Amino acid sequence: MKEHETLEQRLQEQGISRRSFLKFCAAMATMMALPPSSASAIAATLAKVKRPSVIWLSFQECTGCTESLTRSHSPTLESMIFDMVSLDYHHTLQAASGFAAEQAREDAMKEFHGQYLLLVDGSIPIKDGGVYSTIAGRTNLDMLLEAAQGAAAIVAVGSCAAFGGLPNAQPNPTGAVAVSDLIKNKPIINISGCPPIPAVITGVLAHYLTFGALPALDDQGRPKAFYGETIHDRCYRRPFYDQGKFAKTFDDEGARNGWCLYELGCKGPTTHNACATTKWNGGTSFPIESGHGCIGCSEPKFWDAGSFYAPLPAPTADVSSAAKAAAVIGAVAAVAVGAIDRGKKTQAQQSREKLTVDDLKGE
Amino acid sequence: MSTSLQNGINTLIGQIDAPTASFFTSCVHCGLCADACLFYTETGDPKYTPIHKLEPMRRLWQQEYTFWGKLMKKVGLSKPVTDAELTEWEPLVYDSCTLCGRCSLVCPVGNDIVYMVRKMREGMVASGHAPEGLKGATQRAIELGSPMGVNLNTLKAQIKHAEKETGLTVPLDVEGADYMMVLSSAEVAEYNDIIGAVTRIFKQANVSWTLASDGFEGTNSGIQIGSSDLAAELVGRIVRAAERLKVKYVISPECGHAFTALRWDGPNLIGRPFPFKVIHIIELLDELRSSGRLQTEGVDETRMTFHDPCQMVRRGGVIEQPRNLMHMVAPNFVEMPEPGVQNWCCGGGGGVSANHRAEPLRNQVFSRKKAQLDAINVKTIVTSCSNCRTMLLDGLENNHMDIEVIGLTELVAEHLSDNAEGKAS
Repeated sequence: MKEHETLEQRLQEQGISRRSFLKFCAAMATMMALPPSSASAIAATLAKVKRPSVIWLSFQECTGCTESLTRSHSPTLESMIFDMVSLDYHHTLQAASGFAAEQAREDAMKEFHGQYLLLVDGSIPIKDGGVYSTIAGRTNLDMLLEAAQGAAAIVAVGSCAAFGGLPNAQPNPTGAVAVSDLIKNKPIINISGCPPIPAVITGVLAHYLTFGALPALDDQGRPKAFYGETIHDRCYRRPFYDQGKFAKTFDDEGARNGWCLYELGCKGPTTHNACATTKWNGGTSFPIESGHGCIGCSEPKFWDAGSFYAPLPAPTADVSSAAKAAAVIGAVAAVAVGAIDRGKKTQAQQSREKLTVDDLKGE
Repeated sequence: MSTSLQNGINTLIGQIDAPTASFFTSCVHCGLCADACLFYTETGDPKYTPIHKLEPMRRLWQQEYTFWGKLMKKVGLSKPVTDAELTEWEPLVYDSCTLCGRCSLVCPVGNDIVYMVRKMREGMVASGHAPEGLKGATQRAIELGSPMGVNLNTLKAQIKHAEKETGLTVPLDVEGADYMMVLSSAEVAEYNDIIGAVTRIFKQANVSWTLASDGFEGTNSGIQIGSSDLAAELVGRIVRAAERLKVKYVISPECGHAFTALRWDGPNLIGRPFPFKVIHIIELLDELRSSGRLQTEGVDETRMTFHDPCQMVRRGGVIEQPRNLMHMVAPNFVEMPEPGVQNWCCGGGGGVSANHRAEPLRNQVFSRKKAQLDAINVKTIVTSCSNCRTMLLDGLENNHMDIEVIGLTELVAEHLSDNAEGKAS
C-alpha cells in the first residue's frame, strides 16, 4: 500500500465517489449519535488522514470476527474504509507468510512505535505458560504483551478478545482470558459480539481517526453509542412483550404471529448491542426477525449463562409487597407534586391579566 | 396597561402544559430542527435553531415545574427570565419564525416545536415584546375589522363589481344557506377576482352559500401575535355570524393561518364546539369535483407549479385536493422539489409579512424558494393562500424573476364549463 496517500485519494482510486463517502460519514455520525453537523467534520478529517498503521493479532478464535468484517459487507464502503488503514499485519488477510509476515509485524511495531492501533481478536490462553496457542513458535501471551507496549490503543474485537468468549467457558482448559485481563496500562475498547456488527467495528475506527480518541465507553469498555441500549429496548417485538403476548414454542401461533420470544429464552433484555437498530447483512435483519431469540453474545460469560432456550429468570421472591408499597409512595408523591404544579399553573393563569387591544398601543 | 414582565411570566407559566413539559423533557438536542428551518438553512446562523427560540420558556419550565429546577431556584442558582432577555428573543420568536411547522415535522422524538412557539408568543405579547407591525395589524383587526383596514363598504363595492362582471347575484346575509364563505382581507383589497370566481363556481355546482356582513374577515392577527384573548374575539365574530345565519359549513378562504385559526384553534379559543363544520375552499372544490358537480373545459398549457401553503399541508393535511384540481386544467403541471408536506415556506407566514422589521431577513431567506423554482423553470405559480401569493410576488420581484402568481380557485373558475353551468341551474 502506498504510504502518503490520503483516504480520499485512495477511495477515488477504488471507484468510490465522494457522494458515497459523505453518505458513509453521515451514517456513521447518526449511528454514533453525534450531531448532524459532525458528519462534515468526519468527512473533512477522514478525507485528510494518512492511514495509520494497524496490527491485527488473531489468537484463540474462529476467524468469525474477520469474516464478519470482510465478508458480510464486502465490497461496501465499510470494508473499503478498513482497507484505508494501513493493515500491516493480519495473518488471515495478508499475502506474506512465514518469516516475511512476522518481519512485517516487527517492522511496523518498530516504525510506528507508540502510534499504531492494535486490534486483537480471540482470547489468550495463559495456562501452562500459554502453550495452547502459538504463532511462529511464540505464544499468544508473549506476542500480545510485546505488541501492546508500542500500541496507541487496543481494540478487542469480538467477545473472545473482549471477555474471553468460548475458550473461556467452563471448564476453560487452556486458561483463556480477555485482553483487558492482561493489559492494564493502555486504553482498551471492547467491541463484543460473536461476531460483532461490521459497522460497529468501522464506526469505532472512524471515530478514532476523526477525533484522535476513543469514543465514550460503558462499564464493560464497550462504546456507548452502540452498546448503550439493550436489544429488548429497541426490539420491534417489544410491543408484544408489553402486552404479555409470548410465543411458547417455535411453531405455535404466537411464533407465527411474531410475538415476543422471551419465554423461548431470548436474552434481549440483558444484552447490550446494536443488532435491533443497525441489523445485519447490510441492514437486512437480525436474529429475532428470523424468529430466534437473542443468545446474548455481546455480554461477558454468555456461554456459561445456561441454555440459550431457558427463559431469563423472573423474580421468585415476594417482591410484590415491596413493589406495591413503592408504587403507592410513588403515586402519592406524584399526585402531590402534580397538585402543587397544577396549583401554580392555576394561580399563574388567574393572576395573568387579560390582553386588550389597548395593550398593543404605545404609551 | 397590563403588559409587563410579570404578566408575561405568569402567562407563560399558565401556558406550559403537559405536552410542553414532555417536549422539553424529551428533546435530545440533535439539531435536526435547524436543518428543517429556512431561517437556519439560508443564513447558517445557529441562533435560528427552532428549539433555541424557546430557550426562555424552557428555563421557566425548568425553574417552575422540575425538581432540580425548583431546587436551583430556591438556592438562587438559576438565571431568571428578564426583560432584556425577552427583548433579545423577540426577533427570534417573531421575525424568524413563520409558524410553518417544518421543525415539528422532522423532530425525531415528535416534539411539536411550533405549538410551543405559539405559546411562547403568548408570553411575549403579554410582556410587551411584540413587533410594532404586528401590533398595528392586530389593533386594526380588532378596531376596524381587518388588519388591512378593509371594511364592509369595501366589501360591498367589490360585491357590486363582481356582480357586474359575472351577471350573477353575490348572496349577502342569506339566512339558512348551507355554506358561509369567509374571505381574507387581501382577497377583498387586492385579489378580488376571487369573489366573482366563487360566485360562478357555486352557481355551476348549485351550492347554496352566502357572505356575512358581520363575519367576512377570515384572517386572525390574534393568532399571529400570539394572543388567545384577541384571537378568540376575532374568531368569535365569524362564529356569531355563522350562528346568526344558521349555516352548516363555514368556508375558510385561500389563506393559510385563517384556516388554522378557524379549523383547529377556533373551538379551543372560544371554549366550546362549533355548531357548524369548517372546510377550506380547496377541500370544497375537490369535493365538488369528485361528485361531478364541478365541470371544467379547456386547459392552460402554461408550465406551472403549485406552492403548498404551510398551514394547508402540515397542519391541515390538504395535499391531494389542490393537485386533483390542478390536473383538471393544467396538463403541464410540475412539482417543485420537496413538494407537499415538506414544502418550504414563502417566508412571510405566521405574521412575518406584517412585521416590517423582518423584511430584510424575509428577503434573504427567499433564496430557498428561489432555488426550488430555479429547479423547475415554470411560467406560473399557483397557490391557495393570498398571503403566500403576496410574499411570492414580492420575492420574485426582488429577485427579478419573471413568473406569474395566481390563486387556485381563480384558475379553476377560468376554465368553468359554460354548458354545465346551464345544466346545473
